[in-house]
Amino acid sequence: MNRYANIAGMSLLAIVLLAMPEIMNGIKLNVSLGTTLLLFALAAASVNLLVGYTGMMAFGNAAFFGVGAYGSALFTHYILPDNMVVATIVGAVAGTLSAFVLAPFLIRRRGIYFALMTVAFGQVYYFIAYKWSNVTGGEDGFSITRPRLFGAHGMAMQGADYYYYVLVIFLLVMAFLYFLVRSPFGLSLRAISQNEVRVRYLAINSDRMLFKCLVISGMVAGIAGSLYSMSINFAYPLLMDWHQSGDFVMMTILGGAGTLWGPFLGAIIYTLASNVLSSKTELWQVFIGALFVICVLFFPKGILGFLSRTATTTEDVDTSTPRARAEAVIEGEPG
Amino acid sequence: MLCLSRLRQIVDRLIPEIINGIVLGAFYAIIAIGLSLIMNLTGTVNLAHGSFLTLAGYLAFVLLQYGTNFWVALGVSAILTVIVGLIVERSMIRPLYKRIPLYSLLLTFGLSLIFEELFRKIWGPQAVPFSAPQYLQGVTEVGNVLLPTYRLVIMGVLVIAMLGLLFFLYRTRMGLRLRGAVLNTEMMAALGINTQTLYMMNFAIGIFLAAVAGILASGLIGLSPTMGNGLLMPAFITVVIGGMGSLAGCLVGGLLVGLATSITTLYAPAFSEIVIYILMAAVLLVRPRGLFGEEGLFG
Repeated sequence: MNRYANIAGMSLLAIVLLAMPEIMNGIKLNVSLGTTLLLFALAAASVNLLVGYTGMMAFGNAAFFGVGAYGSALFTHYILPDNMVVATIVGAVAGTLSAFVLAPFLIRRRGIYFALMTVAFGQVYYFIAYKWSNVTGGEDGFSITRPRLFGAHGMAMQGADYYYYVLVIFLLVMAFLYFLVRSPFGLSLRAISQNEVRVRYLAINSDRMLFKCLVISGMVAGIAGSLYSMSINFAYPLLMDWHQSGDFVMMTILGGAGTLWGPFLGAIIYTLASNVLSSKTELWQVFIGALFVICVLFFPKGILGFLSRTATTTEDVDTSTPRARAEAVIEGEPG
Repeated sequence: MLCLSRLRQIVDRLIPEIINGIVLGAFYAIIAIGLSLIMNLTGTVNLAHGSFLTLAGYLAFVLLQYGTNFWVALGVSAILTVIVGLIVERSMIRPLYKRIPLYSLLLTFGLSLIFEELFRKIWGPQAVPFSAPQYLQGVTEVGNVLLPTYRLVIMGVLVIAMLGLLFFLYRTRMGLRLRGAVLNTEMMAALGINTQTLYMMNFAIGIFLAAVAGILASGLIGLSPTMGNGLLMPAFITVVIGGMGSLAGCLVGGLLVGLATSITTLYAPAFSEIVIYILMAAVLLVRPRGLFGEEGLFG
């Protein structure tokens, strides 16, 4: 039963993804919204690698996303104007490097300390983009013209063409993540989220695992960011702000952390909700905030976790500290 | 002689910046202490802390518009903010204590979005005119240096608040229980102490400190919907530098962050925001647990 449900779900997903430009036309929305959905889903997937699989509270992935965005935007403007493929690779490398620089500091702490440090260190890139204004355009952002696919005589990549380019990369990255989380490396990440002390006793260097996980997460976020800046032809500092990171974490939790497609689902719901709300009401941020509160209080395992009991979602009852155990006992729920 | 006069010049330029740095540092320290108290006992990273700062500022702003005395407005709006904080804690954060900290982080993040938008809706996106009363606005001569009175008042209030907190934590029975619960909540509950009361009290103290800081900061740096969140990030860094679970760490960390910011503003304004991150990276390289942090607390 479950297997058939899976096959049905996958076919439906494939049809939706392939027909996205048509669907968007049909409901009078811009194709670029479809592109945004895929890219936010990728960014959320990069968060998911840390939050869902490794159990680390990463609250700074927008920084990697933003560095990827600036990476390909600056590359397109200053170095090689008409080559989208190379610009995407440059964005991915920029995202990877941005994570590589921070990872040695971040892996030193765990738990809420890790969360604080990801928030704080993420802001470094924000301020660099903000202050280095003669290169990055500062607060006003940095606009580019979208590069052609490969060389000055290549495809123009407008509208649906760009969507399919993004879709190909999206599927490649998702396939990569699919194999990654099933590899021994992926299993040891999940082991870290369950019991890091025991992982260390098994002679697995969890610091090194976390380091690699951060760098891969930075790469995925960098790819998403680079494609995003080429989608909106613009890169701006607020892309790297911790509010943006919070949105990515929210997408992950909303869909279901620790599942492959959860972040994708969360990104769709979140992006559509904020798109519709912001066109209907001035107070849309209040509703988005309320969405956070409701999701956290009532659907902590996200939509996929809520629907399926077999999904490997993060443990929402914490038993690692005396405080949490006391709480669980007082509330009558054996931890 | 020439050399001496140049030295004098440098010192004259430095002293106001150092005073600025100390005042700024005191703000960071007191916000960080509130954050740190809540983090230590309940594992909640309160991203809505900045919103409570702003809320207190706006409440005081409304009271001052009706001609309330500055000090009365300070006290009343701080208490009102604490009440709002307690309602939030009891209704929304409490159910999350038994879960992993990620959820309270997200919840408070959502709350800060809601608060910020409401501030913008009610009081407008621009800064509102909030100023300290006339008699606090002049300058005072200390030794042969002229110092802005309001900054001295801020220092005074923040020092009193910190001394009050120290007295509470180290000289009262409730404070003893609070410190015990930070070490081992399970044991405290087993000894028959109502831990829920402790959580409420702890949260209230954290919000109270934030509220006082928020009102005083409004008079100094201006009151706008994003005022509190601007102070929150340096406060996070203060907690990381000082070390989790240490009041002394928050104090020293706050002063370091404040001084580093203001002195860099003088010599290299472009780096004034980034220098604190470099400071944090340096501290983490040498002492991963923070300057005064205890090993083992929060991994």
